[in-house]
Amino acid sequence: MRRVVHMVRKEFRQVFRDKPMLAIIFAVPIVQLLILSFAITTEVKHIKLMVVDFDRSTVSRDIVRAFVHTDRFDLVGRTTDLGEIREGMRRWEVQMGLVIPDRFNEELGRGLKPQLQLVSDGVDGNSAGVAVGYAQGILAELGMEHAMRYGTAPLTGNPAPVRMQERMWYNPDLSSQQFMVPGIVVVLLTILPMMLSAMSLVKEKEIGTLEQLSVTPLRKTELLIGKLIPFLFLSYVELAIVTAVAVVVFGVSMNGSYLLLALLALLYLFATLGLGIFVSTITQSQQQAMFVAWFFMVFMIIMSGFFIPIENMPVVLQKLTYLNIMRYFMSIIRDVFQKGSSLFYLLRDVVPLAAFGLTIFSLSVVNFRKRVG
Amino acid sequence: MRTNRSRVVSIAHKEFFHIFRDFRTLIIVLLMPVVQLIMFGYAFNLEIQRVDMAVIDFSRSTASRDLFEKFAGSKFFHPFYYDGSLSELDGLFKSRVARVAMIVPQDLERQLLYKSQVGLQFVVDASDANAATLIKNYCNQVLIAYNESRGVEFPVPFDVRSSILFNPDLKSSYFFVPGVIAMILVMISALLTSIAIAREKEMGTMEQILVSPVLPYEIVLGKVLPYIALAFADAAIVLFIGFVVFRVPFMGSIVLLVALTTLYIITALSLGLMISTGARTQQVAMMLALTVTLLPTILLSGLVFPIASMPRLLQYLTYLVPARYYLLIVRGILLKGSVLGELLMSTLSLVVMSLVLLFVSVRRFSMNLER
Repeated sequence: MRRVVHMVRKEFRQVFRDKPMLAIIFAVPIVQLLILSFAITTEVKHIKLMVVDFDRSTVSRDIVRAFVHTDRFDLVGRTTDLGEIREGMRRWEVQMGLVIPDRFNEELGRGLKPQLQLVSDGVDGNSAGVAVGYAQGILAELGMEHAMRYGTAPLTGNPAPVRMQERMWYNPDLSSQQFMVPGIVVVLLTILPMMLSAMSLVKEKEIGTLEQLSVTPLRKTELLIGKLIPFLFLSYVELAIVTAVAVVVFGVSMNGSYLLLALLALLYLFATLGLGIFVSTITQSQQQAMFVAWFFMVFMIIMSGFFIPIENMPVVLQKLTYLNIMRYFMSIIRDVFQKGSSLFYLLRDVVPLAAFGLTIFSLSVVNFRKRVG
Repeated sequence: MRTNRSRVVSIAHKEFFHIFRDFRTLIIVLLMPVVQLIMFGYAFNLEIQRVDMAVIDFSRSTASRDLFEKFAGSKFFHPFYYDGSLSELDGLFKSRVARVAMIVPQDLERQLLYKSQVGLQFVVDASDANAATLIKNYCNQVLIAYNESRGVEFPVPFDVRSSILFNPDLKSSYFFVPGVIAMILVMISALLTSIAIAREKEMGTMEQILVSPVLPYEIVLGKVLPYIALAFADAAIVLFIGFVVFRVPFMGSIVLLVALTTLYIITALSLGLMISTGARTQQVAMMLALTVTLLPTILLSGLVFPIASMPRLLQYLTYLVPARYYLLIVRGILLKGSVLGELLMSTLSLVVMSLVLLFVSVRRFSMNLER
């Protein structure tokens, strides 16, 4: 026991002595949180719209105005040259073109159903799909308005239309930050413990101090406990800081229990620290450790539902996500924050997380060798 | 100062050994972009399908059954009857059995007959705002189809035809093959190089090289050359997989692509060099490199997330990210067949950037050495 205390003290000293590292541990996550929460958005806004208006009537101006009214579209130019759309797209200055044909207004008045054309740059397929959806929505609304105003609306006596009256639960303002910011907390809470534990264990290996430790009476488990306690502590401090920033700065509403969150975070931290130890056992240098850890991280982030919903993935990839501990904690933290779920509802994630965490942790501890070579 | 070719070559040779001896890093460096490409290419899809929908049907009439069938017939929904009260909805959402609930009132058929329009209540689990918006749009589409099937007609005064250029099937792999190339080039050029230089410093071997007759810029050149080769090899692998597996088109000129890719690699290398001058240990170099190169490349370059949707301040920040320009270049050349004239602004930005970075880091590098 005394040996562990000494080890912990030594590790703390080592961490606190390294001033740039300390700054990186505490300042960088805050900066990352700030940048990530603004940068990670799958919303599509300010689509660069070019209008090719052959009609030049009040109606065509109304159409353009309807597009520019929203923050979805920015008007970047008006022209009467169809080729400019493609050219603009090649120069990345135009993302969508709206073509209003000649005599659109006149044909509209005579009920001839004239045709508008939307041309989109499909390079960013997801954004383009969303953008076309927006544009069609705006045009449908305009069409409806026009129909109402000029009497082509359905006659009374027709069967009554059913309309949607939606209520948005847990996030009535549909703010994507309520969803993304807790997710970012998870990402940050994975990077730090995993990198720290992997790097620090490998560093001892690389500079040969692990051998020095191995001639001391310190046992393997004592060494690991001594290493992990400071990291656990640091990660917890990070969790507290980042959560505070999320709630205070971003106004993320916490509808659940902080205690539950803290307890489940402990479970997750064990799993990530275990992964860190695991990485250190399969690598020889800090550089290797970093790359292996980064490799795991990218896999975990993409396959966690962080910004790509898991249910949209092909079935094979969906099954692969069950191996990902981040997936479970991602759901847990979002549900605790947004829905205020209790442990009962979270069991479906907590149980596999605990099972995986325990397996990874014990496997890595067994696999870890004090001796080198 | 006279450049001694053989000295540069020997250092490059030595660095090559470093890379190839460390087989694990090499494998990861070569394998990682492939795995990422496959994950992004297949997994990235924001369109939801088969959303679980609880139908609480108080009406149990022909009309409500029709409505249910309309939702079941749509590929977007997977409706199921739920015999519970409204107060159980919260539990339904929390246990993720459903993401949306449709509540059919008891007097649906009467309302359909006597009212001018019928409001049907939907409760959406909006914790994921994006998904909630999509679900709402899908519900509306199904309701429009339902209305039409009952003979309610809203005459549309005009038609809208939509066409899509450059990527008509909206494949996300077209978007991500160039993206992964941009990412992998930064990772090798900036991250690996900065660590390699920091390692020499940390181990004290940098001083040993310095007392040798090798000039500082020869050291840098020698250390950097192998990574340039590695970067090109990796980019070629990604491009190859892009063509073979994802059938990404190559519309433009390969000469232009290679030339501008070299420019981008130089920019990234200068960035890596600058980081290494500021870091004394590998850990610090790594953390700095992650924060200054890799994360901005993923987040602030338009690789995944559209820049135009970010707040103004962050948009300004993206001008400092080399990948922002390179992505326009590589996507333009591959998918749009862009020529140099169309990519002039991006190219010039990269040139200016690498000149500034190179100037600053070479100065700092020699200053560090003199100390």
